[in-house]
Amino acid sequence: MQKIRNAANKGRPRPDTLHAVRTRTLISLALACWAVLAQAQRNAPVNGPHHRAEVPVVLTHATVHVSPTETLNDATVLIQGERILEVGKRVRIPAGAEVRDLTGKHLWPGLVEPFSELGIPARPKQEQASAGAHFWNRAIAAATHAAELYTPDEKRAAELRAQGFTTAVVQRMDGIARGTGCAVSLAGRTPAQDVILPRASANFSFRKGSSPDAYPSSLMGSIALLRQALYDARWYAAGGHKEQSDADLQALNDQLALPLVFEANGHQDMLRAARIAQEFGLRFILKGNGDAYQRLADILATGSPLIIPLALPDAYDVEDPFDALEVKLGELKHWELAPSNAARIAAGGGTFAFTTNGLKETAELWTNLRRMVRSGLDTATAIAALTTVPASLFHLENETGRIAAGLRADLVITTNHLLDADNKVLETWASGRRFIVNPEVTEDPRGTFDLNLKSTVLKLRVEGKAGDYHAKVRKPSADTTWVKAVITIEGPVVSLWFEGKKFGFDGPVRLNGVIHDRGAIWDGQGQRPDGTWFAWSAIRQKNGQRPKEPKQTAALDSIWSLPSGEVWYPMNAFGTTQIPDTETVVFRNATVWTNGPQGILPNTDVCIDKGRILAVGPKLDVAALFPRSKVKVPEIDATGMHLTSGIIDEHSHIGIARGVNEGTQAATAEVRIGDVVNPDDINLHNALAGGVTTVQQLHGSANPIGGQSSLIKLRWGRDAAGLRINDAPGFIKFALGENVKRSNWGGSDRFPQTRMGVEQVFYDAFHRAKDYAAEQAHHAALKPREQAASVPPRRDLELEALAEILAGTRHITCHSYVQSEILMLLHVADSLGFQVNTFTHVLEGYKVARELKAHRCNASTFSDWWAYKFEVNDAIPYNAAILQEQGVNVCINSDDAEMGRRLNQEAAKTIKYGGVKPEDAWKMVTLNPAKALHLDHRMGSVEPGKDADLVLWDDHPLSIRAKAMMTFVDGTRYYDRRRELDQDAVATAERARIIAKMLAAKQAGAKVRKVERQEPRQWHCDTMGERP
Amino acid sequence: MRNATLPIAFLLAAAVAAQRPSPAPPQGRSILVKGGTVHVGDGKTYDDGAVGFRNGIIDFVGYEYAVKAVYDTVIDAKGMQVYPGLILPDATLGLVEIDLVRATNDEAETGGLEPEVRACTAYNTDSKITPTVRSNGVLLAQITPRGNRISGTSCIVQLDAWDNNDAVVKADGGIHVNWPRAFAQTGWWAEQGGTDKVAADQRTEQLQELRAFFQRAKAYAGKTVPEKADLRLESMRGLFTGGKALFVHADAAREIQEAVLFAREMGVQRTVVVGGHDAWRVADLLRDKNVDVILQRLHSLPQREDEDPDLPYRLPLLLKERGIRFCLGYTGDMERMGARNLPFQAGTASAYGLGPEDALRAITLDAAAILGIDNRYGSLAPGKSATLFISTGDALDMRTNNVVRAYIDGRTISLDNRQKRLWKQYEERYGK
Repeated sequence: MQKIRNAANKGRPRPDTLHAVRTRTLISLALACWAVLAQAQRNAPVNGPHHRAEVPVVLTHATVHVSPTETLNDATVLIQGERILEVGKRVRIPAGAEVRDLTGKHLWPGLVEPFSELGIPARPKQEQASAGAHFWNRAIAAATHAAELYTPDEKRAAELRAQGFTTAVVQRMDGIARGTGCAVSLAGRTPAQDVILPRASANFSFRKGSSPDAYPSSLMGSIALLRQALYDARWYAAGGHKEQSDADLQALNDQLALPLVFEANGHQDMLRAARIAQEFGLRFILKGNGDAYQRLADILATGSPLIIPLALPDAYDVEDPFDALEVKLGELKHWELAPSNAARIAAGGGTFAFTTNGLKETAELWTNLRRMVRSGLDTATAIAALTTVPASLFHLENETGRIAAGLRADLVITTNHLLDADNKVLETWASGRRFIVNPEVTEDPRGTFDLNLKSTVLKLRVEGKAGDYHAKVRKPSADTTWVKAVITIEGPVVSLWFEGKKFGFDGPVRLNGVIHDRGAIWDGQGQRPDGTWFAWSAIRQKNGQRPKEPKQTAALDSIWSLPSGEVWYPMNAFGTTQIPDTETVVFRNATVWTNGPQGILPNTDVCIDKGRILAVGPKLDVAALFPRSKVKVPEIDATGMHLTSGIIDEHSHIGIARGVNEGTQAATAEVRIGDVVNPDDINLHNALAGGVTTVQQLHGSANPIGGQSSLIKLRWGRDAAGLRINDAPGFIKFALGENVKRSNWGGSDRFPQTRMGVEQVFYDAFHRAKDYAAEQAHHAALKPREQAASVPPRRDLELEALAEILAGTRHITCHSYVQSEILMLLHVADSLGFQVNTFTHVLEGYKVARELKAHRCNASTFSDWWAYKFEVNDAIPYNAAILQEQGVNVCINSDDAEMGRRLNQEAAKTIKYGGVKPEDAWKMVTLNPAKALHLDHRMGSVEPGKDADLVLWDDHPLSIRAKAMMTFVDGTRYYDRRRELDQDAVATAERARIIAKMLAAKQAGAKVRKVERQEPRQWHCDTMGERP
Repeated sequence: MRNATLPIAFLLAAAVAAQRPSPAPPQGRSILVKGGTVHVGDGKTYDDGAVGFRNGIIDFVGYEYAVKAVYDTVIDAKGMQVYPGLILPDATLGLVEIDLVRATNDEAETGGLEPEVRACTAYNTDSKITPTVRSNGVLLAQITPRGNRISGTSCIVQLDAWDNNDAVVKADGGIHVNWPRAFAQTGWWAEQGGTDKVAADQRTEQLQELRAFFQRAKAYAGKTVPEKADLRLESMRGLFTGGKALFVHADAAREIQEAVLFAREMGVQRTVVVGGHDAWRVADLLRDKNVDVILQRLHSLPQREDEDPDLPYRLPLLLKERGIRFCLGYTGDMERMGARNLPFQAGTASAYGLGPEDALRAITLDAAAILGIDNRYGSLAPGKSATLFISTGDALDMRTNNVVRAYIDGRTISLDNRQKRLWKQYEERYGK
């Protein structure tokens, strides 16, 4: 296969060849200008006489766009050296000035690229510990300074200048704390001259980049590491530097007053970064990936300025219906809505700058910008986002971004308005240095010529388009055949050769010459096959056909102007445009599973109001419940149906972004699932459809001391913060057995490797935590004067979480299987004075039921899983029944997105295996987990005053036939089986509409990409890394 | 009719230390199960029905009042439900004991195109998992090799056997092909990956390799006595001459279409799609080409983010409406220990539009027909094997599934298992 394709390619020109030729031309033109304008670095020796004169340059009669909102017609700009001296309609032209007439041309401020790696070499591979006193983890590289690394990259700089950029803020995009960025002028001088602001920014991300350290391996680990580093920096400044030296902490302290740029990978990460900023009293400039519109209100509420990409998603190739099946509706909608991102941010009052980062071809920025303008962005805002906004974000407003006296002579000369489809950048001036981008007069060489070769006259025809001309020659008589000629045109210089045998030569004839008179006359010297020279000329007889501008621009423009769909929350088939409101409603005549002393009540009404259960009873008098309201309370006829409290999944991994395990260390109590909640995970909706209203999102089980849990309600459509259960107590995941001793992963040497070692990890961690708490308490008890005189103890996020366990304010959910390890942890807990709240899985719990009962531990188990590894060989489905009988509070959990939506069925299995009473079985997925999570004062039963987390089932809820008809969370109907049908029709229509639009766009010449399918993999306890 | 009616009670095997309960001896006394609701498996039911069998063969199915013959033993199943033994297709029972203990794993051979490897050989009759599956009513299974492009040859067994000779119901009936996945899997749906061009190229190669192999196999099958015996090609012979069915594991519409057309073109006599998530989308083709489907586990998540959460549950209805014959599988994670949940897959199908008897049919008669054993198994009919079980309640619902008697070929099999024994041990420890 490979070979065949290569062979097929041989005949065709390589696509990058022409491009390379063009780039070379640009560079050589730029070089030509340098000699005139070269300014030496002031303190460096010069080889030869110094260039001392700074001849003023006057650009006159131009349309001068001094700022995004102000334009001067027929105005003049006076430049000297690298600065603008004067701008206006009546500028006095000084003597000895070089005057350039720009009649009919536009003059713009040079564009500013705010987010670039230009000229910053990659971090060298680090296999060993890096030299110097640095932070222990190499993802924190705050002592990196772009100004010290900047190495001019003329090729890339020329690409940027070709689009009008004169300034870039560059950084090394590697690591979580990336150090400082610097602002550089794209003037092609030495770094000392071109670095115009050495400390322009400090830069951050959630990606550890090239750091060879194992930690962090997950998003939550990255967040924890960044938070810890920021706390360490505070400690370092407060005296920690007396205890150890750390260039990165020092650098962090030095750079936090700079503009802080955070590279966020999408709207969720933008909000995550903003939360860190809030914690530390910082403000991040959030670099997004173009989807901020999907959570716009939340993002704008952070007050963060944004950097948004000029790159837009390509359409998918959806001609094949099987391919189209695999494109997610969210991707279709994103393709349609991404161009409106900028306009929506602007309309919402947000501040943003554009970046070319992410564009495959820098030149695409203009077509994309025009698409954005068609989606509602006004041109002044667009221009500002390329000039004044990035300039002011990095405190460069007195350097660049406008055309004004005193600023750098950063200018762009164009033929038209910047956003005009016909516009051409003619020249870019960076810090007063002129770079010719497109020679102003481009001779059009096309047409039919009489080619006079002295000995003979031939016909020459030139066709094609700029950069891709082709030529052929024939004898004058019309019936003779054309012979291909190879033509190269660089500027006004043309070279041409063809096989001369047909025309009386013995071999190739080669010509070189110059094009004059707008292409009509060419002349020069040629060489015959025998080596003799001759003068030649060509005179145009007929103008060439200008190849028609492809209609695609117009056709595409009309597609881009078509109306777009709305933003859905979230962007998938089950998203809504409007997040539902809390309802006041009365369910009539249901079988109500109260989970309270009243048990299961037939023919009972339940009224909910303001997110709470208001009343439960037969034939409720609603008028009496709302004496002051005249509005009729809506009723839901629940005759024949069962109303229960919502299912609570005590052990779940749904709705978690980029990693459930930070398993790179034995103890990672500092990481928090709450930092990485993914509110858009479709599994949240699947769970709602299965009657689930609350889940504990747990860290995985790869290490003995895992991360902190997150308790959420399934408020589908809201953002991560909107899912949180605000007053929920803190929880943390522990784990024992095969997973933590890495039995089933080859080649690990992480301690522990045995259950013996696991025990010692706990002793070690809690001894450290005890000391930590004591140290903190001691310091807090000091008099202010004494505090000031001593180095404060370092705030340690890991030990802080463990100290909370000792203090009883954080509860443990411990992954466990065999009886020995359960007893071990109980013993450790007893001897160190803490409580194990819940043993989860606990498949051999039945062997130690009495000990669990005695320690008041909750048990959260699977209904019938076993035999998937050695430590579950003795697991039995009767576990829940035995534990229940022995008086342990038992929950049935899922640990699995699929099972998580059928927990009612899993609970029903305890009836089959062990004969649990149906009501008790039901409590195992509702009230019991509420108790285990310390939420039973709010959840778990259908009683007045409790949260209106309710499920209406069409059958006995433990039956395989039961379907959740409606699921309410806090009195809000987040799932309604009947409405889903309407929603399905809406989603189907939306999909069809956008697919039709994509097909039309492809027809009209839009770029398309191949469809790829994303695997529906799910997180489990033992999933490692940022992807399952 | 002799009145030796036995009460149904839970029988605990005496030998607690044994790995698994002893397989039952051949049927001695003739047995009549009477009084319950008899679910025939083909859609019919008899309230107050009866099933009689002797020497392992059913000789009566119908209403209790119509029983004429005399049976040695009469089982009173009043208020209970009587079903044909459930059939688990595409299973790995007995091929792996504990997933993460490699030494117990015999499910996937190395290589690529390995039709010659036979599940019959490696099937472990003494697996501790099998009795737990049996005690929920699953009495027959198609043991299927995993992995590879062609994973091997499957084998149908009954689940109560002393040894492999004893277990086999139908040896070597199916060749299993894992059809090349139509899409390069990059990333997962919560987070996108990049385009994996390499994988796309590989797919073309995989298809070519498969095609070339089938062409060779077909040519080889054209000669009854080949000059040089080739194990791989020999094992493929039955696909072209009849006697073996091709089981193509495929889920996406494109894969299913490709696979079915490929099999047709290669002259494969009989094709069954395994998985079949999208089978309903290409139903016309399947109907036209007489292709049956072993459906994916219904208790699974939608395969695409935008699919209806209920879609997996509704797949049986979608196929029924389109006239496709299908049965239900339990392939996937935890497929061995979870296989005891097979009846509840049917329960879900029943709840999502199929109805209880059609749902039962999808794990009995139609499963037998698709596996080619319906002449002996799959429904309660005179002349067929007496492979059936009695549940006190609806066996398709976990709430009521409670198997109290089960027979394989008329043998009264033990319903004991290791888990029940551990349960009893600890009940005793806690003084129950």
